[in-house]
Amino acid sequence: MTTATTQAERPRTAERSRAAAPAAKRRAAKRRAPHRVERRGAFILMAPYLLLFIVAAAIPIGYAFWISLQKAPTLVNPQTGFGGIESFVTVVTDYRFFGTFVNIFTVMIIWLPIMILGIVAMALLIHASPGRFGGAMRFVYYIPGALAGIANFVLWVYLLNPSQSPIAFLWQDLGMTTLKEVVTTENLPLILTAMLFFQGLGTWIVIVNGGLNGIPDEIFEAAALDGANAWQLAWRVKLPLIRPWIGYAALMNLAYGFQLFLEPYLLRQISSGSIDSEWAPTQLGYAFAFTNRNFPAAAAMSIILLVITLAIGIVIVFRSGLFGESEEKAR
Amino acid sequence: MTTMSHETHEIVGSRRWGVGRVSRIVVMLVVAGLFVLPILGFIAMAFRSQEGIEAGGDGFLGLGGMSWENVVYSWGQLMGFGPGGGGVFLRWIMNSLIVAVVGGVLALIAALPAGYALARLRFGSRRFWLFATLLAMVMPNTVLVIPLFLEVNAIGAVGQLWPVAVIMGFFPFGVYLSYIHFMTTMPPELVEAARIDGLGEVAIFFQVALPIAKQVVALIAFFSFVANWTNFFLPLALLTSNQDNKTISIGIQELIGASPLFNATVAAGLDVKLYMPQLALATVISMIPLLVVFLGAQRFLIRGQTVGAVKG
Repeated sequence: MTTATTQAERPRTAERSRAAAPAAKRRAAKRRAPHRVERRGAFILMAPYLLLFIVAAAIPIGYAFWISLQKAPTLVNPQTGFGGIESFVTVVTDYRFFGTFVNIFTVMIIWLPIMILGIVAMALLIHASPGRFGGAMRFVYYIPGALAGIANFVLWVYLLNPSQSPIAFLWQDLGMTTLKEVVTTENLPLILTAMLFFQGLGTWIVIVNGGLNGIPDEIFEAAALDGANAWQLAWRVKLPLIRPWIGYAALMNLAYGFQLFLEPYLLRQISSGSIDSEWAPTQLGYAFAFTNRNFPAAAAMSIILLVITLAIGIVIVFRSGLFGESEEKAR
Repeated sequence: MTTMSHETHEIVGSRRWGVGRVSRIVVMLVVAGLFVLPILGFIAMAFRSQEGIEAGGDGFLGLGGMSWENVVYSWGQLMGFGPGGGGVFLRWIMNSLIVAVVGGVLALIAALPAGYALARLRFGSRRFWLFATLLAMVMPNTVLVIPLFLEVNAIGAVGQLWPVAVIMGFFPFGVYLSYIHFMTTMPPELVEAARIDGLGEVAIFFQVALPIAKQVVALIAFFSFVANWTNFFLPLALLTSNQDNKTISIGIQELIGASPLFNATVAAGLDVKLYMPQLALATVISMIPLLVVFLGAQRFLIRGQTVGAVKG
């Protein structure tokens, strides 16, 4: 029912006209449907997926929730049992808990605006460059996206290490001569911003560009007739039209920020420990599980992160106005 | 009409060499340089030697210090890494291939029929599963790693490859791709006609829907393979305890940890020396399977990215 209201609220002309269509007709169509056969067929076809959904999402979430309510065994008292919210208290009152979120926010304050600006600017520039040049540039920006994860990381080790970096002059100008001087807690937000920007920009340009390509040409032609130049066209016409995609990109990247793991984890490894080992929330969860072997606390930490990203996910799915569209077509 | 649209295009694409056009092209080229040059230098690094780097003078991006002998030497070092004479590097690549391929096949088996059912069959919980899938798709997958570890630990399968492959088979983005595909390419009338011909719901999927699904098969296979290959946190949590069953992504982490660049004490105890050229070579080699599937799926990709963006 909630979805119906969300869809009605969305300011889309096509949907508004559809919402106005008599609901009675739809109901009649539903009654005619050979429901039982279709339902059986649907569940047979969905069976493998539902099985994986249960094994790889439902059970782990439920099990983690159950574990998080258990008492952690200690050396003094190896007895486990129902502990209520004890492990949530352990996690939240852990001296590192608050700091990990501050760290993530520090990165996101720098990274998100740069990322969104970069995505929008480059997508608009590509859209203003029709033909082979624009296509080639879009491909070039996409290349680093293929270097996901550890490959992107090793590439950045190469860039960050003053002893052999192609931008060693930059590090020397800043008075840094060893990797340990570059990779410090103070520099971490900037380093992570650079890493994530480099890796993520191309994919998002392609996505936002796809949104721009979906806008009918007549709109641009009408604007041009009104005497808009390329700059006004981008600023006054294209930008408002791709707002849902910008919001989508912002929220997806925000959710991504909460689960940063690989980069801070490995940066610590190469900087001989000049960065905290529990710098990000995911690292703290990892430490609870693998260093302290405190599974209830690890489970509680992951439930907390799950709730945060779930909330962001719900906003994306129900509010971005991007997913309902295809749902409308289903009818 | 024709003249009008002609004029429009001139304004939209700004064909004249004005300040605007020049600065647009300059900005785009500069950004392209910032993106490509580091990668070029990194690939060159795989062809260089530690001696050359220390001596300096390898020229612009180190391109002057490249040679095939360096690669042969670095390859020897990489192969020598590991207990009992080495060879563990290839083992890791093999493990990655196993989990990425098995995970990808499972993703296809699960996603194709599920996406079709969500797109073209009417059943009560359809909306629920659709939104559950979208939600699972937009959520970063590392959030579930610790709960997954607890689950796998409970059945005593930590350190084994099969749980990793099964978990990778859960690929909601693939279901979404399949859903969008059947929504846009298979009209409901076609399903209706097949029903009138007396085909059952499952038979319609296999005989009518699947034959027109080539494009989305390529997309799901590509995206899930890439996601599986580059996955780091899941293998780190599930496979670190078993060195023989590591995937290449966490294997490279072990190589980094054994490099004298970052950890002199560990490196001192090793027969092989892994400096930046060796690490770069390992990384470049680990990218080759991605390059292969990229070339294979290339012509489906641009469209797929847009579809993946949310829209049909």
